Amino acid sequence: MKTVKRLMCTILAVAMLSVILTACGQGANDPTDTLIFAQGADPRGLDPAMVDDGESSKVIVNIYEGLLQYAKDSTKLEACLAESWKVSEDGLTYTFNLRKGVKFQDGTDFNAEAVKVNIERQMEGNATADMSYAGFVFGTVSKVEATDESTVVITLKEKNTAFLYNLAMSLAAPIVSPKALKDNNNNVNEHPVGTGPYKFVRWDKEQAIVLVRNDDYWGEKAKTKNVIFKIIKDNSARVVALNNGEVDMIDGIDATVVSQIESAGNKLDQPDGMNINYMAYNTTTPVFSKPEVRKAFSQAVNVPELVKSLYQGYASPADSILPSFVPGYAKDVMQVTYDPEAAKSVISAAGITSVHVITYSNPRPYNTANGQALAEAIQGYLSKVGVTANIEVFDWTTYKEKVKAGDYDICFYGWTGDNGDPDNFMALLSDKDPSMNVSRYDNSEYKDLIAKGKATPEGPDRDAVYAQLEKIQVDQNPWLLISHSKLLSAYSPKIQGYYYHVTGNIFFSEMTKTK
Amino acid sequence: MGNNALTNPDERLLTVLKYIIKRLIFLIPVLIGVSIIVFIIMRVFSPDPAPIVLGQHATQETVNTWREANGLNNPVYIQYLSFIKGVFTGDLGTSYYTKTPVLKEILARFPATIELAVMAIIFASFFGILIGTISAVKKNSLFDSAGMVTALIGVSMPIFWLGIILIIIFSGTLHILPSSGRINPLLQPPTVTGFYLIDSLIAGNISAFGDTLYHLLLPSLALGMYSMAIIARMTRSSMLETLGQDYIRTARAKGLTEGKTIRKHALRNALIPIVTVIGLQLGSLLGGAVLTETVFSWPGIGSYTVNCILKSDFPVVQGVVMLVAITFVLINLVVDVIYAFIDPRIKFSKKEDA
Repeated sequence: MKTVKRLMCTILAVAMLSVILTACGQGANDPTDTLIFAQGADPRGLDPAMVDDGESSKVIVNIYEGLLQYAKDSTKLEACLAESWKVSEDGLTYTFNLRKGVKFQDGTDFNAEAVKVNIERQMEGNATADMSYAGFVFGTVSKVEATDESTVVITLKEKNTAFLYNLAMSLAAPIVSPKALKDNNNNVNEHPVGTGPYKFVRWDKEQAIVLVRNDDYWGEKAKTKNVIFKIIKDNSARVVALNNGEVDMIDGIDATVVSQIESAGNKLDQPDGMNINYMAYNTTTPVFSKPEVRKAFSQAVNVPELVKSLYQGYASPADSILPSFVPGYAKDVMQVTYDPEAAKSVISAAGITSVHVITYSNPRPYNTANGQALAEAIQGYLSKVGVTANIEVFDWTTYKEKVKAGDYDICFYGWTGDNGDPDNFMALLSDKDPSMNVSRYDNSEYKDLIAKGKATPEGPDRDAVYAQLEKIQVDQNPWLLISHSKLLSAYSPKIQGYYYHVTGNIFFSEMTKTK
Repeated sequence: MGNNALTNPDERLLTVLKYIIKRLIFLIPVLIGVSIIVFIIMRVFSPDPAPIVLGQHATQETVNTWREANGLNNPVYIQYLSFIKGVFTGDLGTSYYTKTPVLKEILARFPATIELAVMAIIFASFFGILIGTISAVKKNSLFDSAGMVTALIGVSMPIFWLGIILIIIFSGTLHILPSSGRINPLLQPPTVTGFYLIDSLIAGNISAFGDTLYHLLLPSLALGMYSMAIIARMTRSSMLETLGQDYIRTARAKGLTEGKTIRKHALRNALIPIVTVIGLQLGSLLGGAVLTETVFSWPGIGSYTVNCILKSDFPVVQGVVMLVAITFVLINLVVDVIYAFIDPRIKFSKKEDA
């Protein structure tokens, strides 16, 4: 009897389970209503002032907006919450006319006072040490005034044209509802409220973030109702999820999975990223104190060939420190070209037979291969001109310490841009801090031009300054430029209007999805 | 408890209670030891959290302010004492990286780990005991060999590899099961317990319940495989031993059916070591499902802890390790108590507690 009962229970349970399993699988919702994007890590938080990572900013740009924004495929500036702006003659006073009738997603008004609150919480004295970008974005601000409901006047301590670019950034600059800040003890990491096309619904840690269309948005309303950010840590699992149709878009992929993605019928998006991958000569060592020698070494390396074989087409050889979409990029400045014969004669005349090279073992955003592979490729080129490169490899954390210590002839480094302003890249070679300026390059002409660029208002005059700086970089050659790595992301053919910006952010409001 | 050896159930209950309290008191030195070890390991072997938290624009000055604000400039024993003080007042500190209270971060993830571990252990115990028992009863048969080869594969196969293979087969090729996550986020029931199976039943949302099960299948299979193999092997050897006992022969001689003999006499007596193994396995599944969680993007405590170790998020790592230690000890305690119910010969007297 007992056995029969037990058997019946089991059969019943199995039957129920199979009914449930067949019933589910497809959710109740219309699938074209929801865009699903998978990224590799949880955001650090959703308060623009409190975070410093790309995973956070991809969510932030869909919830919040700043006073300015970047153009669609470059880092040129456009109006956003500020309709127009004016910079005073002395370059110290910025007046912003704000867009009227804009509301935060909690129903409160966006106005000059809100801007003031947002900037003041990040100014010196109010900012906490862990507001990573407060100093970078607002460090030069001396005061903010709300002169009327829709006018904000910001006064700077010193001229800084890059300040406008900072205001379009996805970190620190986006405007948060002052009410939300007040209600959440000045930290909206888990309760984001902005003015953007999507509003926050829910965040299940390390699982998913759900956004829904902001129906009161001031501009053109988002085309698709729901957006889900899924957190899928493992790179290959993310690819499987895309190919399996569980998600519509993924990023954080590398060249090795491209064929897998394309053979499943999905599409690849690959704009150049806002970064530079370079090899630095230590200009303070006897070997590399002369620009001719540095140039000769650069001539010994066939950069286009190297980039092609190392990055398989997913990075472009760099012809300038600046990526081509950053204002100030000078088309006519050319790097030294490959000429091993000329290189050999200069190097042997200088009597250099070996160099001490240090590099890193991890892949970096600007060098997806990793520092060791890059160093070894260069070692091969150098051996052809009679130079032995002795390579030492360290993990990234140790490596940074080694670079700071300065015991090397050649090291490898890179930079990911913050604000799309040319100064952000070019000023590296004038920085006092040797962990930024790893060539330890010290040139007063260069420094003067950097200062001039900061003080010159936007326009052709300023672009000319950076063109001049780019020329100095070629003539003086403190760096051998390698590549700008591309931003790889992939999406299903069901998605229309896919938009992954060069700053590494993804904007959903104009995307739609078919069945 | 019908065949209880002790005549007075009240007295027996009292002994059990005393035993439990004693074991709970033992928890304190264990926790102190664990906390000291993790505290020292994190501070000696991890890089300074300040530059990681503050990002690429950190200056020496902000690093110092931040270290000061988080008490990292104090001597280690002062830091330790303030941590212990926090533990006793229920305050585990806040995560350096996200500024969220550690307890909240843990509670947001621990149910996911428990749900997966429990599913995995149910799967492992059911099939493990089944395979082990049949293998023992039909010793040296084809089923026995097949079962033990399966167990050998289960023990030897790295979980993450199994997980990836399952994903490739069921998600990548057949497209019948999801490869990641706990549930379709749009179906998610309101959080009450954090266990989606329970929450969806509370909300009366049957499709959410189904979707949760659907998402649980692959990861619990991958995670439970190793435990299943261990349990199957343990069941087999333990059963073989009991099957050779005199009382089994007696039972058979009495004319008991073979099925009853095996279930009531052999299996029940063989169960003690099996329960121990199940308990230990559950404990380690709760603390160490790191690889499974990573492969299946399971939002649990394991992969989170690894991330926090890499980011030198001391308060979180300390909190999680304490939690896992407590869980492990408690599960062992529960297992020990369960023994008494399975085997009345075990008493909680002074000499015998282990």
